[in-house]
Amino acid sequence: MSAVAAIARRRGRISLPLLIGAGIVLIWIVVGLFPGLFAPYDPDAFDYDALLQAPGLAHPFGTDSFGRDILSRVIWAARLDIQIAVFSTIFALGFGTVLGALCGFYGGWFDAIVSRVIDVVVIFPFLVLIIAIIAFLGPGLFNMYVALAAINWVSYCKLMRGEIRLQKQLDYAAAAQVLGYRDLRILFRHLVPNAMTPIVVFWMTDMALAVLLGSSLGYLGLGAQPPEAEWGVLIADGKNYIETAWWMSVWPGVAIITLGFGLSLLGDGLVVYFGKKERS
Amino acid sequence: MPSGNLVLRRVVQLVPTLFFALLLLFVMVRLLPGGPATAALGDRGTDADIARIEASYGLNRSIAEQFLSYLWQIAHGDLGVSYSLKVPVTELVLQRLPVTLTLTACGSVLALAIAVPLAALAASRRDRTTDLILRGLFQLGLSSPVFYIGILLLTLVAAKTGLFPVGGYGSGFLDNLHHLVLPSFALALNFAAVLFRNLRSAMIEAMDADYVTFAIARGLSPRVVLFGHVLRNALISTVTLFGLNVGWLIGGAVITESVFAIPGVGRLMIDSIFARDYPVIQGLLLVLVLTVSVVFLLTDIVEGLLDPRLNR
Repeated sequence: MSAVAAIARRRGRISLPLLIGAGIVLIWIVVGLFPGLFAPYDPDAFDYDALLQAPGLAHPFGTDSFGRDILSRVIWAARLDIQIAVFSTIFALGFGTVLGALCGFYGGWFDAIVSRVIDVVVIFPFLVLIIAIIAFLGPGLFNMYVALAAINWVSYCKLMRGEIRLQKQLDYAAAAQVLGYRDLRILFRHLVPNAMTPIVVFWMTDMALAVLLGSSLGYLGLGAQPPEAEWGVLIADGKNYIETAWWMSVWPGVAIITLGFGLSLLGDGLVVYFGKKERS
Repeated sequence: MPSGNLVLRRVVQLVPTLFFALLLLFVMVRLLPGGPATAALGDRGTDADIARIEASYGLNRSIAEQFLSYLWQIAHGDLGVSYSLKVPVTELVLQRLPVTLTLTACGSVLALAIAVPLAALAASRRDRTTDLILRGLFQLGLSSPVFYIGILLLTLVAAKTGLFPVGGYGSGFLDNLHHLVLPSFALALNFAAVLFRNLRSAMIEAMDADYVTFAIARGLSPRVVLFGHVLRNALISTVTLFGLNVGWLIGGAVITESVFAIPGVGRLMIDSIFARDYPVIQGLLLVLVLTVSVVFLLTDIVEGLLDPRLNR
C-alpha cells in the first residue's frame, strides 16, 4: 500500500477524479459549442399542443408552460453557462495574477498599498457585495462580469503573491539574476510559469463556483435575462410550476450540479497530477 | 492564551481597514449611476425637482463634506433616516439583521453537526467504500446551488409532508426556529461539504502524525486518541474555515432568504439599491462588514487558544 501511495505522490499521475472531471467538462464544452447537433428541438419554439408535458418519448425532459422542449433549452443554456464560468473568472485571473506577481516580486510600498486594498475588499461579504454592485449597475450578464472582475481578482492576487515570494528565494531565481536578466524577464519568464500550478487549480474551483453563482444570480433575476435560456433562469421559470411540472426546474439543476461537479473533480485531479506541493 | 496585547493589536489594525471600507462604500454608492431623486421620480422629474430633492438630502455638498458629516453621525450611533421609507436606518437594521444572522448561525451549526462526525468516519475508513461514498456525496453537495436545494426542500419536504412551513418567518423564538429548519439545511450543505473535505484531510494528516502513533503506543484507547488528539487538532482548521467562509455564508443566507421569503437583509438591500436609498445601503453594508470583522477577530483569538504556537 505504501508503494502505491509513493507513486500517487509523483507528478503526472492521471487519477480517477481527473479522468471523470475532464470527461464531464469536455462533454459539456462540446454540447455548449455545438448545441444544434444535440438539441432535438428549437429551444425557443412554442408548441401549444404540448404544454407542460411530462418527460416521455417525444420530450425526454418534458416541456414547459409554452410547450418548449426542456432538453433543448437545457442544452442551449450550456453555451451560456460555460461562457459564464469562463468570463466570470478570466479577467480576475489575468489582473489578479499580474498584480500578485508584481507585489510578491517587488514588495515595498506598492505591495503594502495593494495588501491594504485587499484587506478592505475581503472584509466585505463577497456575495452581498457582488449582488450590491450588480443591482447598482443594472441586472445582466455584462454587469455581472464587471462586478466579479472588480472583486474576485483579490483571491488570485493573494495566491500569486505568496507563490512568487516563495519562488524568488529559490536557487534558479538567484541564478537568473546572476546571469544578468532584467527583473521583469525573471519574473514573467521564470518565476510566474513555476507559480501557475496553484492558480490553475484554483481557477477550476473558481469556475465551479462561478457556475453556481451565475445560476443563482440568474435565478434572482440579476444575471442572464429571460428569454435567454440559462440554467438558473430556467429553474426560476419552473419554480411556479414545481408542484405540477417538477421537470421544468429539476433538469436545469441537474445540469448545474454535473458541470460544477466536473469542474471541481478536475481541480482535485489536477492537484494530484501536478504532484503534492512541497512546503519549505 | 493569546495575550491581551495581541488582541489589542488586532483591534487597532482593524480600525484603518474599517475606515477605508466605509470610505469605499460611501464613495461607491455615490459614484455608481443613478440617484435617489431619479429613482423616485423616474422620467417625470425635471432637473429642478431632482436638484431640490437631492439638496434636501444634502447630496449637493461635496463628497468629502458629506462623508465627514456621516462619520460624525456614526460616531453618535446614528445611521441616518431612510430616504424612501422615512424610518431610522438603525430601526430597519435591528429588525432585519438578526433574522439573517440567526439563519447564518443555524446554517453553520448544522454544517458542523453534519460534517464533523462524517469526516471522522470517513477518515477512519480511509479509501474504503464508506469513505468513497461519503466523498462522492459531499462533492455533489459542494456543486449544488443553495437556491436549488432550497426549492427541492420546499417541494419535497415542506409541501409534501407539511412538517415545515412553506417559507416566511414565524412569531416568537421557537416558531422562528421552526421556520428556519429547511432554510438552514439548504444553507448548510455547501459549507458542510467544504468542512468535510478539509476536516477529513486534516484528520488523516493528524492520524499519520508522530504524536498520535505515540499516543497509541502508550496504550490509549482509540476513542481517546480520536477525540483527544485527532479531533482537537482538526478543530483548528474548522475555525479557520469558518473565518474564511463567513462572507460566503452571509451571502448564501441572503439567497436562501429570497427562496424561502424570509424577511432578512437581502430583500431590503436590493430594494434600497433600486431606490438608491443611500443611508440604508450604507447602514446595512457597514453592519455586515462589522459582523465579518468581528468574526475574523474571534477566529484569530480562538485559533490562538487552540494552538498557542500561532501567538508567537
